[in-house]
Amino acid sequence: MNLSLIKQKFAQYKIVALLIAIALIWVFFSWRTGGGFVSPRNLSNLMRQMAVTGILACAMSFVIIAGEIDLSVGSLLGLLGGAAAVLDVTHHLPLPLTLFIVLLSGLLLGMFNGVLVAYAGIPSFIVGLGGMLAYRGIVLGVTGGSTIAPVSNEMVNLGQGYLPDVLGVGLGVLLMAVACLLTWRSRTNLARHGLPRPAGWQDGLRLGIIGLVLFAFIRTVNDYEGIPFPVLLLLVLLGIFSYVANQTVFGRRVYAVGSNLEATRLSGINVRAVKLWIFGLMGLMCALAGVINTARLAAGSPSAGTTAELDVIAACFIGGTSMRGGSGTVHGALIGALVMASLDNGMSMLDVDAYWQMIVKGCILTLAVWVDVATRASRR
Amino acid sequence: MSEYLFEMKGIVKRFGGVAALDGIDLAIQPGECIGLCGENGAGKSTLMKVLSAVYPYGTWDGEILWQGQPLRAASIRDTEAAGLIIIHQELMLVPELTVTENIFLGNEITLPGGRMDYPAMNRRAEELLAELKLFDVNVVLPVSHYGGGHQQLIEIAKALNKKAKLLILDEPSSSLTTSEIEVLLDIIRGLKAKGVACVYISHKLDEVAAICDTIVVIRDGKHIATTPMAQLDVRNIITQMVGRELTQLYPKQEHALGENVFEARHITCYDPERPLRKRVDDVSFSLRRGEILGIAGLVGAGRTELVSALFGSWQGRMEGEVWLHGKKIDTSTPLKAIRAGLAMVPEDRKQHGIVRDLDVGQNITLSVLDQFAHGSSVLRIDGAGELRAVREEITRIGLRAASPFLPITSLSGGNQQKAVLAKMLLTAPQVLILDEPTRGVDVGAKYEIYKLMFELAGRGVAIIMVSSELAEVIGIADRVLVMGEGRLRGDFINHELTQEMLLAAAIDQATT
Repeated sequence: MNLSLIKQKFAQYKIVALLIAIALIWVFFSWRTGGGFVSPRNLSNLMRQMAVTGILACAMSFVIIAGEIDLSVGSLLGLLGGAAAVLDVTHHLPLPLTLFIVLLSGLLLGMFNGVLVAYAGIPSFIVGLGGMLAYRGIVLGVTGGSTIAPVSNEMVNLGQGYLPDVLGVGLGVLLMAVACLLTWRSRTNLARHGLPRPAGWQDGLRLGIIGLVLFAFIRTVNDYEGIPFPVLLLLVLLGIFSYVANQTVFGRRVYAVGSNLEATRLSGINVRAVKLWIFGLMGLMCALAGVINTARLAAGSPSAGTTAELDVIAACFIGGTSMRGGSGTVHGALIGALVMASLDNGMSMLDVDAYWQMIVKGCILTLAVWVDVATRASRR
Repeated sequence: MSEYLFEMKGIVKRFGGVAALDGIDLAIQPGECIGLCGENGAGKSTLMKVLSAVYPYGTWDGEILWQGQPLRAASIRDTEAAGLIIIHQELMLVPELTVTENIFLGNEITLPGGRMDYPAMNRRAEELLAELKLFDVNVVLPVSHYGGGHQQLIEIAKALNKKAKLLILDEPSSSLTTSEIEVLLDIIRGLKAKGVACVYISHKLDEVAAICDTIVVIRDGKHIATTPMAQLDVRNIITQMVGRELTQLYPKQEHALGENVFEARHITCYDPERPLRKRVDDVSFSLRRGEILGIAGLVGAGRTELVSALFGSWQGRMEGEVWLHGKKIDTSTPLKAIRAGLAMVPEDRKQHGIVRDLDVGQNITLSVLDQFAHGSSVLRIDGAGELRAVREEITRIGLRAASPFLPITSLSGGNQQKAVLAKMLLTAPQVLILDEPTRGVDVGAKYEIYKLMFELAGRGVAIIMVSSELAEVIGIADRVLVMGEGRLRGDFINHELTQEMLLAAAIDQATT
């Protein structure tokens, strides 16, 4: 009886549980590194490392919610990042043009995957597996296996630039205002429909915590150099993808398709088109992540993004996206990405052997999904 | 030893703070057949889960006695070992395995070394099926080779093989034809004579009345009455179930029929697996404004295939034309069919009706969601407008849900069906196709669905209703089509029409 209550609460506050897990991981690493882990410089670095996985995880959460999977994202990232480097280094194209070409190619390649899945009826696992090999092959063929460098300064700025302190503070204030506005709106909405509202202190506490986190975040990054550009991009994407998931027709259809494809089709929804666009978005995010990755490394590496798909998929599952489709959140997937990035970063700081890092990450993924499954079972 | 084979005393099962079962008593003697009746949501399935230890001992309060001894089963294995077998509403057969393999699944006869003793199992399987008077089944063929009716009987053979002392049948007849139901009832009579006890759960009260010795009625998780069948008739049972008098089962309302609006011409459907086999063979019919057209026939007659072809959801090849208001319309996908003015509530609510992860309101607006976002799929949904539409529809259709934000799966079958219906009505269809609209729906909700159908017909909507319940077809339809083996076998105006006439039309030529 008591156990089921705990399970119920846990399922309800899964995100809180994940945040507690992250806090524990951070406490552990800062203890082992004598505080080095939580230094502004390292945290700023950690967030930049996480940005690439996070950008992919935004779109991957849609793919998984829709009941599909995409294993080709790592290779596609490598291909598009490599393309960006080639256009920049070899052809000296202006940055906006390079970005346009790469993003468009990403969208089209993603939609190509989508056509194979949705219209040709090939299982997405196979399309992903095929793409993983083929796209990587193209990268190796085009680059001849060698690194493409040096990338122009403009592009490097995309990966290594920072937002000036003042703008960072302004952004923090703006985000806080948005949080207050959304809370107020949801309270008036609930009141208007005669639904129970959470107690005032609960919302107050929530806003307080959000404010505190924002303050700590801005303070920390400004103590170093400011908000890193990739992190800013990730925040913007989080906003866009959450909006699409929760507020738009397309988002609702993503959930419906993943939950019951046949019923959704019979409701008069073009389920193939929904899937096509989901894969298109995935491709677009591969392009963004590829550019950021190339910019961060200041070079196009033929091995860029190898096994990135595994980190991304793991992030989504750790963040509570359901394997059978139909449920999950974008912010959950990003918190999952933060877990993976924290583990990577912390263990690297501690000079843990690479093989141990893999073992630990594998165990954490399995553990997280087990906890998820165990707490879900009570509801079915 | 107690005179009862099985007793439940004061069973209470709570989910959180809500008591789904509140003091249920049930006692069964060997060879007795108990009819368990109650509306959907009354607690029948919960009770069966307690009984069969899906909810193990300790997760509920009360006492269960098996042959006079307390039964403290930890899992369904324990109850099966005792001889208490459930046959679920959804068949639990593995379609790819053979009939024999299914009957012996988890219970295989093996030779030394773990090798399956196929000859022995096949022989035993044939014996079991012969007991069930099922002579036309080849036990080495996959189960998928046989239709729903045969599968149900194979499931019973599987239960008999486990030496059942108490057999629980949960809606066993929902996929059976009238003649197959007769066979089933005969089998149960035979089992009773051998001392096997049964609990028969069904919405089809005439079956319950025909087979059961005692009727137990539960309502809202409470035990209402235990009465010998001899003192009851179907009407009394209904009264006990709903707690109020239902004056009429079919609230027939006069409504005017208008001009011809809809026409299906030469519809032919081919089996998706075997492209040469016709599942529907050259069916044509027309439909008038405000008309309720019943489509009757035996299971496998091609009724569901026909209506899915009209709605663009048939998976195989299809030929034929669909006309609406004198114009040929394209219904090659459900989306196009809905845009043209058709709507369909599919037969299989779980697989094709509800979307489990969406809440009640989101299920209702699924088809018309872009209306709330200026017809765009990337603009913001007007949440307040959506909620208003959902509330209106919930009130109009009499859907009982405490809030539109509840998970759809928390509703009873009848209310889920109403939600699917509401979803389709929001598309404002001119032709509404209902495939078995009251299957697995309780008496009260059935009545409300019928009333809604008449209201729609009164407003000029043309309705096609596929139904296996002949009484329902006669009680509701203005005109009845009878199908058999994919062909149209009869077209009757519903005037002094009897079930016998429809059945004769469905079966008659099937034998020639």
